[in-house]
Amino acid sequence: MKTEYILNMQGITKRYGENTVLENVNLSVRPGEIHALLGENGAGKSTLMNVLFGMPVIHNTGGFEGQVLLDGENANITSPHDAMKKGIGMVHQEFMLLPEFTISENIKLNREITNSNLVSRILNKNLETLDMPKMAKDARKALDDVGMGIDEYVQVAGLPIGYMQFIEIAREIDKTGVKLLVFDEPTAVLTESEADQLISVMKKIAASGISIIFITHRLDEVIAASDVVTILRDGKTVANLKTKDATVLTLAELMVGRQGEGMVSTEKRAIPKDAKVAMSVRNLYVDMPGEEVKGVDFDVYEGEIFGIGGLAGQGKIGIPNGIMGLYEASGEVKLFGEPLQIGDPKKALSAGISMVSEDRKGVGLMLDQSIKNNIVFNAMEIKGEYLRKILFFTQKNEAEIDKQAQDMIKELDIRCFGPQQAVGTLSGGNQQKVCIARALTMKPKFLFVSEPTRGIDIGAKRLVLETLLKLSREEGITIVMVSSELQELRSISDRIAIVSEGKIVDILPPDASSAAFGLAMSGIKPDEHTDEEAKA
Amino acid sequence: MKNWKRIVAALLLVVGIVLIVMSVVNMPKRNSETGTAIIEKLRVRSLLSAVGDGVVESYVDIAKKNATEEVKAAGGSLSDLRKAIKEAEEKVRSEFTGDTTDYTGKDMTGVYASLAEYDASLASYADEKALAEKKYYDAHLAEAEALAEQKREEAIAKGEDVPAEETVFVDMSGFTPTEKMLSLRATADEKYKLLGAELMKVEPQLTENALETLQKTVDSVLYQEQRDFASLYDAYASYAGTDVLDDQRQAFIIRYADDFITFGVGFIILAFAIYFYDAIVKALGVPRFIIGLFFILLCLSALVLDLNLSALLSNTVVRMGMNSVMVLAMVPGIQCGISLNLGLPIGLVAGLLGGLMAIEYEIPGIAGFLFALASGMIIAAIAGYLYAMLLNRLKGSEMSVTTYVGFSVVSLMSIAWLMLPFKSLKLRWPLGTGLRNTIGLDKSNFWRILDRFLAFKIGDFMVPTGLLLFMAFACLMVWLFSRSKTGVAMQAVGNNRRFAQATGINVNKMRTIGTVLSTVLGAVGILVYSQSYGFMQLYTAPRQMGFVAASAILIGGASTSRTKISHVIIGTFLFQGVLTLGMPVANELVPGSTISETMRILISNGIILYALTKSGGDTRG
Repeated sequence: MKTEYILNMQGITKRYGENTVLENVNLSVRPGEIHALLGENGAGKSTLMNVLFGMPVIHNTGGFEGQVLLDGENANITSPHDAMKKGIGMVHQEFMLLPEFTISENIKLNREITNSNLVSRILNKNLETLDMPKMAKDARKALDDVGMGIDEYVQVAGLPIGYMQFIEIAREIDKTGVKLLVFDEPTAVLTESEADQLISVMKKIAASGISIIFITHRLDEVIAASDVVTILRDGKTVANLKTKDATVLTLAELMVGRQGEGMVSTEKRAIPKDAKVAMSVRNLYVDMPGEEVKGVDFDVYEGEIFGIGGLAGQGKIGIPNGIMGLYEASGEVKLFGEPLQIGDPKKALSAGISMVSEDRKGVGLMLDQSIKNNIVFNAMEIKGEYLRKILFFTQKNEAEIDKQAQDMIKELDIRCFGPQQAVGTLSGGNQQKVCIARALTMKPKFLFVSEPTRGIDIGAKRLVLETLLKLSREEGITIVMVSSELQELRSISDRIAIVSEGKIVDILPPDASSAAFGLAMSGIKPDEHTDEEAKA
Repeated sequence: MKNWKRIVAALLLVVGIVLIVMSVVNMPKRNSETGTAIIEKLRVRSLLSAVGDGVVESYVDIAKKNATEEVKAAGGSLSDLRKAIKEAEEKVRSEFTGDTTDYTGKDMTGVYASLAEYDASLASYADEKALAEKKYYDAHLAEAEALAEQKREEAIAKGEDVPAEETVFVDMSGFTPTEKMLSLRATADEKYKLLGAELMKVEPQLTENALETLQKTVDSVLYQEQRDFASLYDAYASYAGTDVLDDQRQAFIIRYADDFITFGVGFIILAFAIYFYDAIVKALGVPRFIIGLFFILLCLSALVLDLNLSALLSNTVVRMGMNSVMVLAMVPGIQCGISLNLGLPIGLVAGLLGGLMAIEYEIPGIAGFLFALASGMIIAAIAGYLYAMLLNRLKGSEMSVTTYVGFSVVSLMSIAWLMLPFKSLKLRWPLGTGLRNTIGLDKSNFWRILDRFLAFKIGDFMVPTGLLLFMAFACLMVWLFSRSKTGVAMQAVGNNRRFAQATGINVNKMRTIGTVLSTVLGAVGILVYSQSYGFMQLYTAPRQMGFVAASAILIGGASTSRTKISHVIIGTFLFQGVLTLGMPVANELVPGSTISETMRILISNGIILYALTKSGGDTRG
């Protein structure tokens, strides 16, 4: 049975335990079509591709519901290798190249052309000699197809990142029988001209009859490259439309969605005109791998909740980490009018800033130690609290520590067997509460909260957000909350800065339109989209 | 599964209780009439079999004499004589092979009665003799010790190797029997004559002559130093077997009642271990459960093999004390994040240097030990600081770095020991340069200075009070440190380096503190070890000690990133306990071999290997 679709994924539903990550998702790709798959972080793009490639993570967690049809036939894809055999290729986001091998060796890896020799005839096919000239010829052709003039005998190590992306693509199209290629955010690491070249290569590949699924969050590229767009949001297909019918604005709005019921609701406050600046940041650069900050300026007013949003890898997490001195940073930061020397966590903590890190297990907690030790650690080390002197020895004051730990356990509703329990045995949400408890034990005037709801369940999420709200409203602590979840930011923040490519694109009120957020997140500056808005 | 466990545990429990009840019922019979009767029977049997052999000898004598006379009368040559004697002996012996005399039906009451009397008087003589000899020994001990000491000094001066084990021999050649001894001996001899008369009644071939030559043999058969039931039973049974007894099974049960109790206890422990397996493993972790069981097994084996368990356990406690500080040295290392400090030999050689200096300057007693500690700690602190700088530059591969640093330091110091300008003859070889391989400590410096302090004995169990106090003190100091502000920060560095960094803690500084502490404790540890051992071992001896200490703490339940003081104490006790008990037990099981040395290497390296496979530690509690 021949159909018009080369790939037809129908009614895909995937659950991880209680958590539904994909719900009745449909994706249909025609031959020779560039099909953009658009969505925020966590919208379900990666899971959908994992289903397509038959990744073990899917099978090991109970499989999925729905059908995957290839050329109209039910394709039971059991493993990535199986997917490859059935003509589906993937251009990875992280390059899977062997740096010490030449380009042609990399392109032909595991599909080498071989000649039999004496030894291989006697022993094993694996001992056949490589036919380098033939391999080089194939590689040359693939490289020409992607428009790369580079010599195929060059070693991969030391090549510019953009080249590696093209070698990846060349490897995929060199495979015989490839019908469908998936590009997973291929332009994320490319320069603008390289990105343009990539798009033209994609069009060339598509013209040769190979279909392409183009995963991205850059709206302009979607418009420029794709024929059809499927937009996912919260694990559901929200739209499937022809690119020529869409504008950047409509795509942005569809991607972010209208503001739904927030998990936590609060009355909106306007920042008083005479509000004092709690923290002013000028020209901040942070060298955090994967989250680089390239010069941001912003002011946070006393008592407000300042949200920082944006897509993953754009640099929003780098901002608090840089100011707290966890990564190398430069720039001017003033805290309550006093200049703060950045790059030294001790100074930042002593100045009254606390931080709840996004990397709970890596930075936020001592997993092997007890809840109470984790809670009082900073106060003990920075402020010298919870200590007492016995003769010559400064000793932990267990009575005070226990009391503080008990108070915090009660206040934040940390579910545990007692303050002695090792933090590593707690659930994610309770671990997060311990992190918050430690920050509060410092009695901070200014609090950074980075991805506070990452990896915790909905109930815990609500509790964490409510706690933050309470701290802001009742204790008057100024809070900067960094989160990938726009919904959360919009539900409790007073203002939200959107970061893209290491810079703040826009600072928006929480009730700004979804389109405004969507555009900002894909890096389109306010003055650029005002024209389009006018048009629309 | 649950039921299976219950059934096995119940069966074992029942078997254990039956064994114990059976033994408890039979044990008192040893001293009752039943026991006495068994012993008397065995004793007579042994005597008769000894005498029976004697009878053969006396016939051989007679035959030889007759043959000689015949040849002489015939005027044969010397070779004829030899031949005739040989033939006569062979003839007699061949006649008497096979069954010994059949005593059934003969009236033995006289033998029984006179044997009991002779036995008693022989015993009182032997006791008196032992008493007199002990008196003599005690009186001459000091003299002998002085002599031995003098010889030692001379040996050192001459540059001979000083013997490893210091045993003092008292020359007993000047001992003369006391009046009382002589009179008791005379009484005993009288009784022997009476016994001889009785014996001749049942064994008519016996002659007065033969009886006289037999007396020594009879004495050695009858008199046993240990006069309790089990020893007598074993000794007599080995001469003549137990066939003579009416009820061999009962005798067997009475004899081995104590071992049955041991087995019973073993089964009951096993039953509990199986029944409460989950709870015990949860509380202790699998490694400690297994090694703990193995330790109990060794204790029970020692009892069954009639080894002196309390002396062995005392030995274990001493070894635990002497090793504890070295194991404690692992704690700051693990806590500060350099994981197992296998570079411990740095601290060890520093401590040895301190000890050498104390001997070189001839600082006596406790002052010398304190001097050795102080100078060793200073050297260790300096060396540890440099070592820490190295480790701070090589974060992440501490395990291999520490191992190789440890090896290198031992090799480097092997050269240094040859070059260092020590002058004391106690330390250096008299010819050429360089220090001795093992340096014996003595009372003039810090030989067992801690072990002897306030030491007391409970039975065979020696309590090395000073050593245990020192161990407790060292543990207390480390515990207090781990609860101080700096200690808490140091543990944070070990636990999660990035967490500590985020709190503005100077990671390198904390790692340096931990490394220096660990090295200093190593220096203290080797001195504590040496004073108890009695020797300071130079050259390659410290190489393995880091591994031993690391294994002990791993067995105690530590992981490579988390530990506490209880791990040190439990681990050292189990490790040293298995080692000290394992060797004598192995020796007893395979006697007369070099198995003990092989076992020592096998057990200690086996434990190290096992401990390293468990280096993840037990589950978080």
